[in-house]
Amino acid sequence: MTAIPMEAARVTRLRRLNVAGGALTALIVLAAVAWAFPLYWGIVTSLKVEQDVVRPGVHLIPERWTLDAYTYVLFNSQIGRWYVNSVVTAGAVTVLVVAMSAAAGYALSQLRFPGKRLLWWLILASFMVPIPALLVNHFVLMAQFGLLNSWAGVVLPQLIAPVTVIIYKQFFDSVPRDFREAAVMDGATELQLLFRLYLPMNWGITTALAIITFIGAWNTFLWPFLAVTSEDMMNISVGITQVNDAFGVRYARLMAAALLAALPVALVYLVFQRRVTQAIMLTAGIKG
Amino acid sequence: MSSVELRGITKRFGAVEVIKGLDLSINDGSFTALLGPSGCGKSTLLRIVAGLEQASGGQVVIGGRDVTGAAPAERGVAMVFQSYALYPHLTVEQNICFSLSLARAPKAEQKAQAARVARMLQLEPLMGRRPAELSGGQRQRVAIGRALVRDPEVFLFDEPLSNLDALLRVQMRLELAKLHQELGTTMIYVTHDQVEAMTLADRIVVLDRGRIAQVGSPLDLYNAPANRFVAGFIGSPGMNFLPARVTREGAGLVAELPGGGRLALPMRALRGAGGTSEVGIRPEHLRLADPGTGDLDGRVSVVENLGNTAYVHVETPAGPLVVEADPGLRADPGMAVGVRVDVGRAHVFDADGVAWPLAA
Ligand SMILES: Nc1ncnc2c1ncn2[C@@H]1O[C@H](COP(=O)(O)OP(=O)(O)OP(=O)(O)O)[C@@H](O)[C@H]1O
Ligand SMILES: [Mg+2]
Repeated sequence: MTAIPMEAARVTRLRRLNVAGGALTALIVLAAVAWAFPLYWGIVTSLKVEQDVVRPGVHLIPERWTLDAYTYVLFNSQIGRWYVNSVVTAGAVTVLVVAMSAAAGYALSQLRFPGKRLLWWLILASFMVPIPALLVNHFVLMAQFGLLNSWAGVVLPQLIAPVTVIIYKQFFDSVPRDFREAAVMDGATELQLLFRLYLPMNWGITTALAIITFIGAWNTFLWPFLAVTSEDMMNISVGITQVNDAFGVRYARLMAAALLAALPVALVYLVFQRRVTQAIMLTAGIKG
Repeated sequence: MSSVELRGITKRFGAVEVIKGLDLSINDGSFTALLGPSGCGKSTLLRIVAGLEQASGGQVVIGGRDVTGAAPAERGVAMVFQSYALYPHLTVEQNICFSLSLARAPKAEQKAQAARVARMLQLEPLMGRRPAELSGGQRQRVAIGRALVRDPEVFLFDEPLSNLDALLRVQMRLELAKLHQELGTTMIYVTHDQVEAMTLADRIVVLDRGRIAQVGSPLDLYNAPANRFVAGFIGSPGMNFLPARVTREGAGLVAELPGGGRLALPMRALRGAGGTSEVGIRPEHLRLADPGTGDLDGRVSVVENLGNTAYVHVETPAGPLVVEADPGLRADPGMAVGVRVDVGRAHVFDADGVAWPLAA
């Protein structure tokens, strides 16, 4: 009964653990590669000459590098215009959704008014309804308002955001009552309570929700695709489908356009990485 | 500076009546403690004065003005919360200035006011910090500063020291006492700690289940408790209570104790006497004596020696007693002892717990 056999046993156990860990790492790397491959393929394709793209066979690295696809998209499409449309509509959606949700969340959490419970149940219920199920209604409504092919028409139906309201309400609910009472003693009005206390105390939530709302609005396709028919009012997500010519689909150009469209979101993600993951966890917590 | 008057205040939460028709008037510039056990309604009463809670009935008058329906900020009161409730996203200076900033006071005035308060409370080196970066005592001072900057007519404190450790609590108690001397502002102070109430307040209001059990100066409450509740609540260790039959005899009273003991009390009862009652005696009005030489005989059960004094628990036929004794005295558990009673300092309570008015 010496210490040596025990030591040896521990070493083998550790080694076995190491092998298992290594296998797991390899598996994860494999999964990551599989996930990232389409992205890589898209980037590579956008840098190829069109003839090379359609040539049979798999070419992981372009034989001829070129930026032709990008220059074509940038100078022969309305991509600048689409960018502006996307920035305006996604920006407006973000600002309006955050402002309205914060106010609604505050009211539901802190104010007493008749019909509050009903309102709360309505919001919870509306969050059960999938938005695509309302597409036809939205379309008819916007058509009757005469808002098709306009920024307002693209923005309005996207303002239905029960999840952000619910998140705000939950966060405001969790602010200890003493803070509110201290501020009330200090003479705060309801608006001051919201803007000077509740929102600043929860800035992290606001930025997280703003980012995720912006990304969602930027990437949304179906509604802007339906609401807009004239090319100069298109969002970039819709616009990139227009990048073909009389000869049909040009893959390199399509990929270049798609990458240009995704660029701002990728940048936002890189800059605000931690906030974005936080926001995804928040919404997942509600939705899941 | 203002007086505070509560007239017939009641408060119900649903069907539960928490404050039951309470009248109280608090003098201008006084330091009044609301004292009572947990759940007796101290905080509720304070919050009614603050305006954070609406009374179900009655009137709140501050400085001669009926403020029953007024908003908290319009009452000229400031409150220090047990949790401090410092705004976590603001610096110490911004916390102190928050009320001025809400009222859109000029920046320069805010700065000047914050500086004035910081000087009073020695907060100057901390002005740029956030609450998370402060110790408990520093947070407490910032909370007081936030109340101070508003120049309130009445300060309200809800157990402000209960989150501090024992040493700091003693220190802050002293600072509060000094603050009151300096400002002379009316202060109402909620606590369930009788030592805090006794040391800080010039007037103590003892609450028992939503009613006032007694109002008086600390010494009044200690020496002449109006009822058994106050007698038992004030003083540590608490007063000893022995069941007894008290009757008049000659000029004084005689208390017959269970187990055959008899105490001759030299006081005259001013009103109603007779029947079953209780005799109350504080531990410091009892002495240990040799067996057979005291008023009562018993056996020592536990000895608590505190160094400067000792509490000896004695089992007697009349009931258990706590006796304050000389810490140098040798008393071991199981030892037979006598207990001598300073009969002139005894209290008598009737079956309902009301103290008999006694006179020497
Ligand atoms: N908002 C409320 N709703 C219902 N009951 C309440 C509410 N606030 C207080 N109470 C009840 O009122 C009674 C008195 O409460 P209060 O907070 O005034 O006690 P307290 O004397 O301050 O006690 P503590 O020393 O524990 O702080 C308690 O029984 C409590 O349960
Ligand atoms: Mg309390």
